[in-house]
Amino acid sequence: MRKAFWLAAALALAGVASAQTFVWPQKWTVAKPSEVKRGGTLRQATISDYRTFNPFITAEADNVPATISGARGLVIRDPTTGDWIPYMAESFSVSANKLEITFKIRKGMKWSDGRPITADDWIMTWRIHTDKAVGSNRYDDFFIDGKPITLRKIDDYTIRFIYPRTDADAFRVASFAPWPAHIFGPVYQKDGAEGIKKMWTLNEKPENIVSGGPWLIESYRPGERLVLKRNPAFGEWNKDAAGNPLPYLDRYEIKIVKDTNAQLAEFLAGNIDVFAPSTVDHISQVRQAIQQGRLDATLKVNASPVASSQFMVFNWNKASDPFKQSLFRSDKFRRAMSHIVNRQAVVDIVYGGLGTPMYTSVYPVLTQWINPKVPKYEYDLRQAAKLLAELGFIKKDREGYLVDSRGRRIEFNLATNAGNTQREQIAKLIVDEAKKVGVKVNFQAIDFNTLVGQLLSSGPDRPFDAIIIGLTGGGLDWPFGPNVVPCKGNLHMWNKSGQCLDPRETQLDALYSRGRTELDFKKRVEIGYRMQEIEAQLLPVIYIAGPNYHPAWNNRLGGEHPDAIISSIWGQRELELTFIKK
Amino acid sequence: MTAYILRRILYLIPTFFGATFLAFLIIQLAPGDYLTQRELDPKVTPETIARLRAQFGLDRPIYEQYLLWMNNLLHLNLGYSFAFQAPVLEVIWPRVVNSMVIVIPSTLLLYLVAIPIGVYGAVRQYSLGDRILSFLAYIGLSVPSFFLALIAIYVLLQIKFRTGTLIFPVSGMTSSGFEQMPPLRQILDIAWHAVVPVLVATANDIAGLSRLMRGQMLEVLGQDYIRTARAKGLAERVVLYKHAFRNAVIPFVATLGGLLPSLISGAGFVEVVMAWPGITPFFLDAIANQDLYVIAGFLTVSLVLLMIGNLISDLLLAWVDPRIRYE
Repeated sequence: MRKAFWLAAALALAGVASAQTFVWPQKWTVAKPSEVKRGGTLRQATISDYRTFNPFITAEADNVPATISGARGLVIRDPTTGDWIPYMAESFSVSANKLEITFKIRKGMKWSDGRPITADDWIMTWRIHTDKAVGSNRYDDFFIDGKPITLRKIDDYTIRFIYPRTDADAFRVASFAPWPAHIFGPVYQKDGAEGIKKMWTLNEKPENIVSGGPWLIESYRPGERLVLKRNPAFGEWNKDAAGNPLPYLDRYEIKIVKDTNAQLAEFLAGNIDVFAPSTVDHISQVRQAIQQGRLDATLKVNASPVASSQFMVFNWNKASDPFKQSLFRSDKFRRAMSHIVNRQAVVDIVYGGLGTPMYTSVYPVLTQWINPKVPKYEYDLRQAAKLLAELGFIKKDREGYLVDSRGRRIEFNLATNAGNTQREQIAKLIVDEAKKVGVKVNFQAIDFNTLVGQLLSSGPDRPFDAIIIGLTGGGLDWPFGPNVVPCKGNLHMWNKSGQCLDPRETQLDALYSRGRTELDFKKRVEIGYRMQEIEAQLLPVIYIAGPNYHPAWNNRLGGEHPDAIISSIWGQRELELTFIKK
Repeated sequence: MTAYILRRILYLIPTFFGATFLAFLIIQLAPGDYLTQRELDPKVTPETIARLRAQFGLDRPIYEQYLLWMNNLLHLNLGYSFAFQAPVLEVIWPRVVNSMVIVIPSTLLLYLVAIPIGVYGAVRQYSLGDRILSFLAYIGLSVPSFFLALIAIYVLLQIKFRTGTLIFPVSGMTSSGFEQMPPLRQILDIAWHAVVPVLVATANDIAGLSRLMRGQMLEVLGQDYIRTARAKGLAERVVLYKHAFRNAVIPFVATLGGLLPSLISGAGFVEVVMAWPGITPFFLDAIANQDLYVIAGFLTVSLVLLMIGNLISDLLLAWVDPRIRYE
């Protein structure tokens, strides 16, 4: 008995002495630990300039704090399964009522300035994110239906998240990256939000930026280049399967290149290592360079669809024009309009064959969420004509457009944002196809902000007929938009009267809430399937098609993902597991 | 003269207020604001948008926003960038400096090349050389600079594919590892990166300016006093350079003041295409984002420089042209 006690005590001590490591799974990379080389620089380009080093005021998807921290927190997703696994937490436990998750924080993790990473860091980070006056982009993450999610420190290495109700997104909330309390805390206590907002601007000296992630800022030249170097503290607890500290790279350089043609030129010249060509022209130039032996690189065409949508939405709130309003509110009409959308032509003409047709609100890349059984209402002009005839549009007027018994013609305006050539092309295809069945569509390209203003206007009479636009964002845990599905949602674009008008909207609203609060993934997917069935009947939005993701990289890089997980969601590689072969 | 200058400076004050208000009004008349794009994010609630709008002061009436901004301006504060959450001057100044690396050499090159070409064209009118230069000038005038930059990138890549070396960089202002270089190498590195953008930025303008110079020179050469000078038996060189050239160049001297605002306004699309971290891509970003005070602040600085530049131009004109006197 005594022996066992000492053994346990010795083990516990050993645990304290060495950092509790996170071993990066071998299945996340194609490279074996034995072939890996250390050192070297990964060179990349980004389209937009960086605006701040401050994690609390950054608003762009591509930002410095996310890059240096790796954007990782207590839990991360396993790209091979999509599951949440402990990361900066060593383990977690969910309470019986599923309202509390308690995380045991990994011991031995350090900030780049040598201070330990503890529960206080998460608490302070959460406090600042949820301070209204700071204006953090993550603010909304910490509220469910306006009720706050709270964090409680149990001890230095234990932290509890308390949710106002069960939430499918619970782990995503817990995945936020912590920032050092010993740096931000004193300023926050002294000067509050205003003090925080003045910290870590682009003028801050790189050596003062403390990171808990894989990278440290070495230098930054505005509009030009961000150079990052390996954070040695990170390697103390992040190891590969053979126990080597990560990342393998010494440096990570990101050039700011605003023009995609120039990015392509840099890739073709071998000056950057990774690139995702998005147009047919760029893809063929990369392919040609590879085939002619001018560039030693790998290109994966059509690796997956991108996580975005393009759709046409009709306005249900047109009190000033009851004829149009009743038309737009008719699901037969919308179904007919879905039948006139030639999605294959959109893929072929707009995306040069490198796109994917869309039929539901779930992005095609989220394969496990797509209900394969829902009706698609594919391109079928005869079916469209039949549905319109059922609505009473049988005769044609002198110009060849359908009219009803009272002589009212089916005609509507279709708008999209000027300058988005892909959407403009989609709109023109729709105009042509609609004409074939006798529907007059007047296309107008208008300013983006005007378009958004019209789309988001509310009340009984809104100033548009139909709009083509797209959305991005939306998670793997619950891919339905919190602003989109509920009838009161700000992005419930077809009907902004403030209430559900169709019983199926009410059903969707209820299913949305049920799914959001369901913790069992399988059950949640079932609810998602059900929602797609109702969406298909109601067709509030007519989905069109989206482009595909085509990653390319210079063959001096190793350590990319296995083919099965290369996608627009998981990307082509984990930077930590990337190495330079030559 | 002093009275004239003082009067001109006095006139600048109402012009300044009128122009800034107009600029502010026009920016504000554009639909939407800095937060419009964020409204399309399915995760951001309308309450958050409204809160941020209040925080940035975007919910207040335009005249109130203008007065607040003007008040700041009188304290020499150009305002605050929404996107950078930093003072406008702090974020735009490094970009202006970067642009000057292209603009200053390109302006010098422009005058050094365009004026002799123009003079040559006028003196040897309709000669083979004049025809070739005219032809090139028309091409230069018709090809937009961004396209010229793309062609330059293409040519550089083709050379790289054939010889394996990049004679000039395809984009950017510095090489990797710039920070570790000794100062002299840093200067050389920037110069090496600047060659192509400077040439591209100059190419268009050379065409226009040389045509103007040619026209001016031709006009002067047709004047009576040139005929008189020649009749007097003066050497052709003296006729051309002492009499004709000095008069033909007057309009150009007078425009030197106008160069002042162009010093800070960047080299245009060449910067975007060749990833030069100048003011143009930055300003385009600010417009796309409707980063109000960056746009307004930059316009104000340009405006002030334009007004000063105009004043200098007028004074220069009086100085070089004896026919003009301000009293």
